[in-house]
Amino acid sequence: MIIFEHVTKRYPGGTVAVDDLSLEVPDGKIMILVGPSGCGKTTTLRTVNRLVEPTTGRVLLDGRDVAQAHPAALRRGIGYVIQQSGLFPHRTVEDNIATVPLLNGWRRARARARARELMELVGLDAALARRYPQQLSGGQQQRVGVARALAADPPVLLMDEPFSAVDPIVRASLQDELIRLQAGLRKTVVMVTHDVEEAIKVGDLVAVYRPGGHLAQVDTPERLLGFPADDYVESFVGFDRGIRRLSFFPADGLDLDLEAVLGEGATVAEALQVAKSVGQPWVLVIDAERKPLGWAAAAQLELLPGEHALSDVPLTGYGHTFRPGAESLRAALDATVLSRTGRAIGVDEQGRVLGVTSFDQLRAAIHAADEAAAEEAPADGRPAAGETRA
Amino acid sequence: MVWSWIPGNLGLIGQLTRQNAYIGIVSAVVGLVIAVPLGIASARWRWLYPPVLSTANVIYALPSLALFVALIDYTGLSDTTVIIPLTLFSLVVILPNVVDGLRSVPDDARQAATAMGFGPLRRLAQVELPLAVPVIIAGMRVATVSSISLVSVGQLIGIGGLGYLFTDGLDRDFPTEIYVGLVLIIVLALVCDLVLVLARRLLTSWQRGSLP
Repeated sequence: MIIFEHVTKRYPGGTVAVDDLSLEVPDGKIMILVGPSGCGKTTTLRTVNRLVEPTTGRVLLDGRDVAQAHPAALRRGIGYVIQQSGLFPHRTVEDNIATVPLLNGWRRARARARARELMELVGLDAALARRYPQQLSGGQQQRVGVARALAADPPVLLMDEPFSAVDPIVRASLQDELIRLQAGLRKTVVMVTHDVEEAIKVGDLVAVYRPGGHLAQVDTPERLLGFPADDYVESFVGFDRGIRRLSFFPADGLDLDLEAVLGEGATVAEALQVAKSVGQPWVLVIDAERKPLGWAAAAQLELLPGEHALSDVPLTGYGHTFRPGAESLRAALDATVLSRTGRAIGVDEQGRVLGVTSFDQLRAAIHAADEAAAEEAPADGRPAAGETRA
Repeated sequence: MVWSWIPGNLGLIGQLTRQNAYIGIVSAVVGLVIAVPLGIASARWRWLYPPVLSTANVIYALPSLALFVALIDYTGLSDTTVIIPLTLFSLVVILPNVVDGLRSVPDDARQAATAMGFGPLRRLAQVELPLAVPVIIAGMRVATVSSISLVSVGQLIGIGGLGYLFTDGLDRDFPTEIYVGLVLIIVLALVCDLVLVLARRLLTSWQRGSLP
């Protein structure tokens, strides 16, 4: 647990980087500090490992004031990842990763063995161990940076815009990698970014900064999108927050219909009867393994001989499917919007049809999720930090 | 050119070459040994660098002959009398390279070292100096080559290594000696330079490989 207590950093000359900031980072969570440049987020981060000393206030790490600790010893217990990776150009990948174990007095062989473990953990090919940093791509360098920060297994990890220097595709894969790593490691992470999308994707909690070193809101990503505290936060989280927020609601609460789903062996006459009885213009045709084949339009079926099997009928493509157990309402909405029939198909892991959903069911599910979220949030829409379900 | 003079005077030539090499190399090495801590201090405390550099430049402007004469009172007609001025000249050449080398250390590497928990001394020894090596060695090469060739000036007070061959050749109107001295000084300088180039390659293997 990291606690910032009324931390203020005032530079000589009067610039106030952080102004009376109080914040709690719960154990095992990722806290993202996000805001425009110059808002004091990096300064806040750096007070944790004493690269910056607060003018007033204090920072507690597991209940102990970091100002009481010896700086070098304190820093060896805190992983640190920076934007340009900050790797040592004159050390090989494995020796870069082994830095802190070596500082802690490990023998070189043991430290290198540990480095190899970490390379595997962060998805680096063992063949890169003897390379120098400048022989690696930007994304690989950043992975080495993360491995180096984790080498001594510190409980706390500080990340200062760790992914902002790589291209968007690599950035997305590094973010996924961090989420995957964190699921196993459960570190207490403080990460600075200016990218609100990154904050919402990676964070368990997000602290939004206002210019001048103040906090505007500290919340879960979902509630930041659902209940921005004021106009500043709302404009900061940006356009289409309503739809983005749906990614935090699982799609498993969605009603799935099986009424208008038929096997390919059924006849045109049977299909028409089903369509009429449920009042649907489309019927989904599936194969013997329950995999979707396509949509049959009732209007077209009427033109065909009733004894024809559905397998002989021309079908409309079914487009994207979604997985209710694993994906969010946002995926379900997306599949529905993209579908030519205005209906999306929910499938299980094996791609077998679980049922069909339409805008009406989606609307009901979104409404229900909204109600549940509103009930959880206190009346003023600004719950205290740390109250997260994640 | 009287080739036969060479085999007849191998003993003399060998002795002069050794003295020239000794004085030149010792001057450059002692210059380095003084320049490194002075450079570290100048890079660390920025206000220190301008006065140090100005002083160094004044020393560089001093005529070597004047220094030799001034030193004779203290160190007599010994190698030391030549080594001290040449050391000062080497120092002046190497010092800016030490400072520039340390300043060329990427800021993110320095910052990362601090954040990893390096103390100031360890950071200097394990991160900053190794990264400054290429620039420092570049200065060391200039200092070594000029030291070796400047040794001959010491002949003005009788301690000049291969410089002896120049004055003796002139006195006797015997150009062969002068040519031999000239060639040997150049060869000596080139050999020392080659050693430094090899040392740099050995110390900075990390610089060679870039992204394939």
